[in-house]
Amino acid sequence: MGNSELEQLISLQDLDLMIEESEEVEKLGFSITGVSQLKIAREELAAKISKPLLYRYERLRKKLKRAIVPVKNDICLGCFLHQPTSIGAQGREGVDLFTCENCGRMLYWLD
Amino acid sequence: MQKHELRDHLRKALFIPSMKARTKEQALEELLDLFVAEKYVKNKQLVLEMLKQRELLGSTSLGKGVAVPHGRTTATADVIIAFGRSEKGVDFDASDKNPVTLFFMVIAPHNDEGNIYLPILGTLVIILKDAKKRHALNKVETFEELVALIDGE
Repeated sequence: MGNSELEQLISLQDLDLMIEESEEVEKLGFSITGVSQLKIAREELAAKISKPLLYRYERLRKKLKRAIVPVKNDICLGCFLHQPTSIGAQGREGVDLFTCENCGRMLYWLD
Repeated sequence: MQKHELRDHLRKALFIPSMKARTKEQALEELLDLFVAEKYVKNKQLVLEMLKQRELLGSTSLGKGVAVPHGRTTATADVIIAFGRSEKGVDFDASDKNPVTLFFMVIAPHNDEGNIYLPILGTLVIILKDAKKRHALNKVETFEELVALIDGE
């Protein structure tokens, strides 16, 4: 699990929500013309992520809507459980992938 | 959402009365740099990529010289708005081809408290449809003037 793979997962999640929310954004008055183009970009990005990790992401998304959540001040912003300080230093480096022991989401340290 | 509630998401440090950007990408980056400098986003490249992808979906220009680049990202925890004004204007792929002089960049987390992200975008669209407001916004020099205008004073 490299740093870039975690970032790819974050980009994938950002893209997924962007596609899901595009109709609502259009209703506000924005011109939305590139949904199919964005879906292609999404698939291209997904193809770069290892299959087990992608499967884990898809499963978490289906179950919990957000597969990766930010951590701020050692709090998981998915379920608001305090994360052990011991994993914070490693988590901030973004090299290893950590999951919240409470909600099971993958964690991304913001600070 | 009431107009005055927007002020809670504006920041003095995220205000540029005279942008340097000459291209769309430069404009996105110049505004995003403010979020990075103030630590509202941790990873600039991740968020810049998200903003560029959003432009692929369709230009965030609303025409008449205004644009509201926006998006949700995992790489932030707060709903924050940056304001930028460009005297010369920037080609932002607007449908009416007009250069953009007014920018409101909105960056939000995936799950924002109170679900205020979409109402914020909607309120900005309403404000920016008002020709008098656009005219006044094109003249703001200070953050305080911006807030007063947004509040409807």
